[in-house]
Formats: sequence, structure tokens, C-alpha cells
Amino acid sequence: MAFTSMQFVVFLLFAVAVYYLTPKRYRWVTLLVANAVFYYFTGIKYFVYILCTTASTYIATRKLGDMAAKNKTAYQAAKADLDKEAKKAWKADFTKKKRGVLIPTLLFNFGILAVLKYSGFVSENLNHLLEALSAPVQLPVPHFLLPLGISFYTFQTMGYLIDVYREKVVPEKNIGKLALFITFFPSIVQGPIGRFGQLAKQLFEGNDFSYDNVKYGVQLMLWGAFQKLVIADRAAVIVNAVYDAPDVYGGTYIAVASLIYCLQLYGDFAGGINIATGAAQMFGVTLEKNFERPYLATSIPDFWRRWHITLGAWFRDYVFYPLSLSKFFMKVGKKGRQILGNYIGKLLPVLIPQFIIFFLIGIWHGAEWKYIAFGFYNGTLIVLGILFEQPLQNLAKKLHIRTDCFSWHLFRILRTLILVTLGKIITRADGFGVSLYMMHTMAADWNTDILFDGSLLQLGLDGKDMMVLLLAALVQLAVSILQECGIRMRETLAKQNLYFRWVIYLCAVFALIIFGMYGLNYNAADFIYRGF
Amino acid sequence: METLLKILAEIRPDVDFEENKELVDSGELDSFDVVTLVGELCEEYDIEIGADDIVPENFNSAEAIMALVTRLQEE
Repeated sequence: MAFTSMQFVVFLLFAVAVYYLTPKRYRWVTLLVANAVFYYFTGIKYFVYILCTTASTYIATRKLGDMAAKNKTAYQAAKADLDKEAKKAWKADFTKKKRGVLIPTLLFNFGILAVLKYSGFVSENLNHLLEALSAPVQLPVPHFLLPLGISFYTFQTMGYLIDVYREKVVPEKNIGKLALFITFFPSIVQGPIGRFGQLAKQLFEGNDFSYDNVKYGVQLMLWGAFQKLVIADRAAVIVNAVYDAPDVYGGTYIAVASLIYCLQLYGDFAGGINIATGAAQMFGVTLEKNFERPYLATSIPDFWRRWHITLGAWFRDYVFYPLSLSKFFMKVGKKGRQILGNYIGKLLPVLIPQFIIFFLIGIWHGAEWKYIAFGFYNGTLIVLGILFEQPLQNLAKKLHIRTDCFSWHLFRILRTLILVTLGKIITRADGFGVSLYMMHTMAADWNTDILFDGSLLQLGLDGKDMMVLLLAALVQLAVSILQECGIRMRETLAKQNLYFRWVIYLCAVFALIIFGMYGLNYNAADFIYRGF
Repeated sequence: METLLKILAEIRPDVDFEENKELVDSGELDSFDVVTLVGELCEEYDIEIGADDIVPENFNSAEAIMALVTRLQEE
């Protein structure tokens, strides 16, 4: 059941109506049933995986909760007789016991994800190695179909497990409520990756009907559908034409298609997230923000703070901090200072884990070498950015370059956009080698005439469609700039008079109907991130 | 408090640590700054700060950071 299908719209309206008709204390049950229906229509075959994740997490978190309660009582009773060292030893001993529950549960759940997502890739590469060594054996290469949203719900659920382990949240005693948190249908397909502390109350307590919530929810869904159907699916036509035959097209075509791919990916992913956030808002649930105008970022770290925010925050809280604050990396920092000097030494506990995070973010996207290359590309850019930040600032001062003006800000935005686009070529091309070939073509074979002589109209979109794409992209850019200036679009629209508001709503609906890209039976293309 | 303000100023000389009470929430301190700061705090005050302690409430202001340090020293 795709977010952009009529089936989903009918399902959502029905679910919202039943939700508010249900007595308040049972509204969470309605949501849980709605999740089951959504999952049934989307991928019931894979229900067993999500059941395993729910059950194992429930058992582990209950156990951790019991252990924490018992430890607290025992510690309070013994505290007065313990000196500083004994308190430390008590804490270490308890942490060790908790890890005995945490680690097997993490291994089990990430193990499911790893087997389903990466076993084929690992076997394939081991076979290449065995072939190179002339070994007479070949491993079977399994190809599993991925359960819907497995990367998203696994990360969300393991985040909850770690929060319970860290005693930041109280474990949920009702397995049905835990299942609701894990399977909440708006966010299961492609995020955002939620946190238990932020979602639990909203999901479990039963929200009152609010006209504003429903209105804002519908508006956000319309905007998301516009981004997906009018922009992303239209942009996809040009992108597919060039990327399906990269050896046919010259560098300018590749540059244009790659920039348009940035537009497509943002429209597709942010559009999907807006539909999800709007749908959740109709139930009175506020999902976490996943995008903050990423193409207006002024540096690569800034881009990653604005793009897929909840994934970045997940890796920051559950991998980056534990790694960089570990005794090992603290020692690395100390040793680094002695050997490499204060500046670089201090940065080592940040730089190495940062590189590891981007490797993980790369493979999170998929089991292919190009995603690993994408991770290293971003990791390298970030590390270089940190290392050269101070020297570059000093250089700008020496050269008397003004850095507090609009032109410098714009330069930084464009520079970041180019670097981001190169990264997107790596992920979109049909393999890492192909992406290198395309980048080489971009550098070597440049012909700007195609921008003006109508050649771009041979890529599948005629003049009218191209104009729609351009105008829609400009609308999206204008909205982004207004938001960047602190203007809240929906709230501003709500302050306008009734007639103006309805003109805007009707324009949005007609724009979707007339300019949306629909395939056979009015089915839109699948969301890209749904595949991750 | 003076020692703490000195450490903070060394890490981010451009930030007003006495006035800003939303250091993390406002994005003034990023994760790199936090890790660097934690390294310095552990060394200066002989404490252990774990990933569990890295929540915005503990780093949003100089006072909150000082309170974290005091709590960990007392534990």
C-alpha cells in the first residue's frame, strides 16, 4: 500500500475516523490494528521478522527493567558503607550484568538485518576471493527479499533497547503497546526513526481530536505528494535516461542529470517523510523532524545535520558517543597528542569514530561496494573539513576575504551542493566504477550548448513537462528559503483569509491531479528509501 | 567554575558560555565539541563521563556542565 495510492488515502481516512470514534483509553488498540492492516496489505509474509524483534526486545527490556529496580534497592541499602572505589566497582559490575542482556539482543536483531540484507553481498565477494585463490569451492549466494521497513524499525527498536539499558526510559510492560511503537505505520516504511521517550505518550495515551492537527496533517501530506509526484517522479525520467546509458551522454548531460537527481532524491525522500508526518499528525502524533532544507547547507557536516536527521542522530547517540568516549579512544587521544601534537591528537577520538560512522551509514543504505565508497567519500570530506577548518579560516583572514557576507554564504552553499552531488553520483550510478567513469566524463567532455539547443528535451520530458519541473523546483526552493528565514508556512497560511486559503488548497489539489506523474492504473513510482 | 569556563573558552572561543543557556539545543555546541569537552573534563576533574551522560540537559549551559561534574565527583 504505497503512500501515494488511493488505497492508502481511503485506509488513512478510515483509520483516523475509527481512531477518534474509539473510547480514549483504547485508541492505541485502534492504531495497533491499523498497523496490522497496513502491514497485511504491504508484506504479511515477513510478519515473522517483526514479531521476533518485538518479542526479543520486550523480553530483554523487561529483564533490564527488573535488574535496574533490584540494583537500585540494593545500592541504596549498601551505599553508606561503600567508598569511592567500591562504588565504582559496583557500577562496573552492574554494567557488565546489563550488557549480558543487551549484547545478545543487539546481536540477534542486527543479525536478522545483516543476514537478510548483507549475506548475499558477503557470499558473492567471498566467492570472488575463492575464485582468485583458485579454490574449488563456491558459497551459495542467498537473495532475500527485505521485509518492509526492516532497517528503520530495527534501528528504532534497538534505540529503545539501548535507552532502557541506559535507564533513560522505563521499559513498556504492555507488549501490545511496544508493538505499536515498533510498527506505527506512517513511519515504518521509510522513517523518521523515532525515539521511545518522544513517541510513547503520544501513541499510548489516546489523543483528543483537533481540527488543527487534521488540517495541518492534510496540508503536509499534500505538500509531500507534490514533492513526490510532481517533482521527484518527473525528475526521475531525465535521471533514468542518462544513468541507464552513461556511455552515450557527455559530461554536461551527466552534470544536469546529477543535479536533477539531487532534486529527485530530496522530493522522493522528504516528500515521503512529509506524507508520513502529516498522516501521523492526523492522529495527533508528532514525528521527529527528518529534513531541514539540506541543500541550503553550508558544509558537509551541516548537510548531514539537515539530511535524514533521525538516522544521523541515531548513529551519533548510539555509536559515535560510545565509541569516541570509550577508554580506548580516550587513550588514542592522549597518545595522539604526544605523537602528533595537541591539535590533531585532540581530534583523533572524534575523527576515527566519525569515519567509522560514515562507513556504517554507507552500508546502511545497501549491500553494495558503491555504498561503502559513498560512506568513505563523506567520511573523508568530514575529516578533511575538521582538519583544515582552522587553517582555512586563517588563510581567509590573511587574504582579506570577507566571510560574514551573503556572497560568501552563497559560495559555501554552492560548494557544498557540488560535493553532495558528487556523492549522489556514487550512489545512483550502476556501480562504483561507473560513477568514476561518469565523473571523469563530466571533467573531460563538456559542452554547454546542450543547455540551450533543445537537446535536454530528448531525455524523455517535453518542453511543457520540463517547464513544470522547473517551476515546481522553484516553488520548493522558495518554500525552503522562506522556512530558512524562520517563516512557518502552514501557520502563516492559517492566518490568511478564507478565500485565499481555499484558492491555495485548490491549486495544490489540482496541481497534484494535473501535474502528478502517474504510471499504469494511476500508480506512482515506489519511494527510493523504501528499498533501504 | 572559572576552570570550567577556561576549558570551554579554549574549545570554542567564539561562544558566550556565560550567557547561552541552550548550547546544545541551539546547535552552538556540536557532537565534536561535546566529545572534545568530555575529554578535557575527565582529565581536569578525574571523572568518568559515559555515553549515558551525553544528553542535552547536561551540556546546555556552563552551570549544567558544572552540575554534571559535581554529581560525578560525588558519586
